[in-house]
Amino acid sequence: MIEIKNVSKWFDDFRVLTDINETINRGQTVVICGPSGSGKSTLLRCVNGLEPYQQGEIIVDGTSLNAPKVNLYKLREKIGMVFQRFELYPHMTALQNITLAPTKVRKWSQKRAAQKGMELLERVGIPDKADAYPANLSGGQQQRVAIARSLAMEPEYMMFDEPTSALDPEMIKEVLDVMIDLAREGMTMLCVTHEMGFAREVADEIIFMDGGRIVERGTYNEFFTNPKTQRAKEFLSQILA
Amino acid sequence: MFDAVWGNLSYLMGGLWVTAKLAFFALTGGIFLGILVGLARISKRKWIYYPITIYVNFLRNIPLILVIFWFYFVMPIIIGRSIDPFPSAVVSFIVFEATYFGEIFRAGYQTISTDLVNASYSTGMTYFKTARYITVPIAFRRMLPSLITQSIVTFQDTSLAFVIGLPEFVRRASIVDNLEVASIQLFGFVGIVFFIICFIGSRISRHYEEKGRKANIL
Repeated sequence: MIEIKNVSKWFDDFRVLTDINETINRGQTVVICGPSGSGKSTLLRCVNGLEPYQQGEIIVDGTSLNAPKVNLYKLREKIGMVFQRFELYPHMTALQNITLAPTKVRKWSQKRAAQKGMELLERVGIPDKADAYPANLSGGQQQRVAIARSLAMEPEYMMFDEPTSALDPEMIKEVLDVMIDLAREGMTMLCVTHEMGFAREVADEIIFMDGGRIVERGTYNEFFTNPKTQRAKEFLSQILA
Repeated sequence: MFDAVWGNLSYLMGGLWVTAKLAFFALTGGIFLGILVGLARISKRKWIYYPITIYVNFLRNIPLILVIFWFYFVMPIIIGRSIDPFPSAVVSFIVFEATYFGEIFRAGYQTISTDLVNASYSTGMTYFKTARYITVPIAFRRMLPSLITQSIVTFQDTSLAFVIGLPEFVRRASIVDNLEVASIQLFGFVGIVFFIICFIGSRISRHYEEKGRKANIL
């Protein structure tokens, strides 16, 4: 369970997050949407300690991120993260990208990690690309390798930061299908995305952020058919246009 | 032809050895200090960043020959005794070249995006493991061609130590020339030797550039 309690964050004098409260239970998929600059990505980065926050508390499985002596590296092992621009290691093959953390962090043997890596490539549908370098993969393939890289650490949570917004339209589906499968298999997920088809399929809750605040939350139907705030209505009419 | 060269070959080659030693110390020291300068130039701590930035900007905007002169003639006044040309030249080169190497390291490091590092962290990799397997290898491959090019420039620049009387390759050729009066063959020979060494270096640099381009990491 991830508990976010009254979290606020500033970049110098500029307040980017204001009193964020949210609880993500095991097996839930939460979708975060909102206009750019609303603090969605920053919130994700706070949850796995990539960005500090100045007020409030984030608790992952009972451990507070700003407790003294908390090992952020250890904590991040159980929270996988997928980025908008894939961020694969350019000097390593797809398989090496996936096996790096299991061998260096978990100290698995090369053989065991490679076996796991191939299983995951199979799962995301590109076992034939194991020895390809990122530069020789399409965006959709790169993103699927990135998902496999996160899954290799057998995380309990997965966070996605606009995983399809850098992709050509015909590649979006191949990435979303992998994400939908994950959600259905019971992975706990926190996704920043504007893919409303994905939200309809698997989201247990949708959070709408604007100006660093959560301004609206609800199920897909509540949010879509009956947005309460004017800001959400405008946003929806834009992304559906 | 080239009899003035052959007749004094061991003396001239001794000069090339001095040049090689100077280049070796200048490069090892310059690259090592350059790494620190590069790190200081990306530091968020103002008390590190500003002094080093002033140092870099100052030295990059004056000719190397002046640095060599100043150090050789001003240091004895400050420390109260004279310095040998060789250590003096070594220190001048290290201090000067470190600013150039520092900028290469800074630029190489800055090509790595924050999110690439974040991606590594998010799999549980530590700061040192990320440096060891991700940032340093990538930055190093991207910097390698510039590092080799700058090393070639440093090697050529060592001939400037001539001005403080260091008996390196060019100065020895000039000494032989005063006795034998054979400028064209002596300096021609020096030129050919410099050319061969530097040309090989630049081919190596090209090789790594091509290799990097093929692997799409440049």
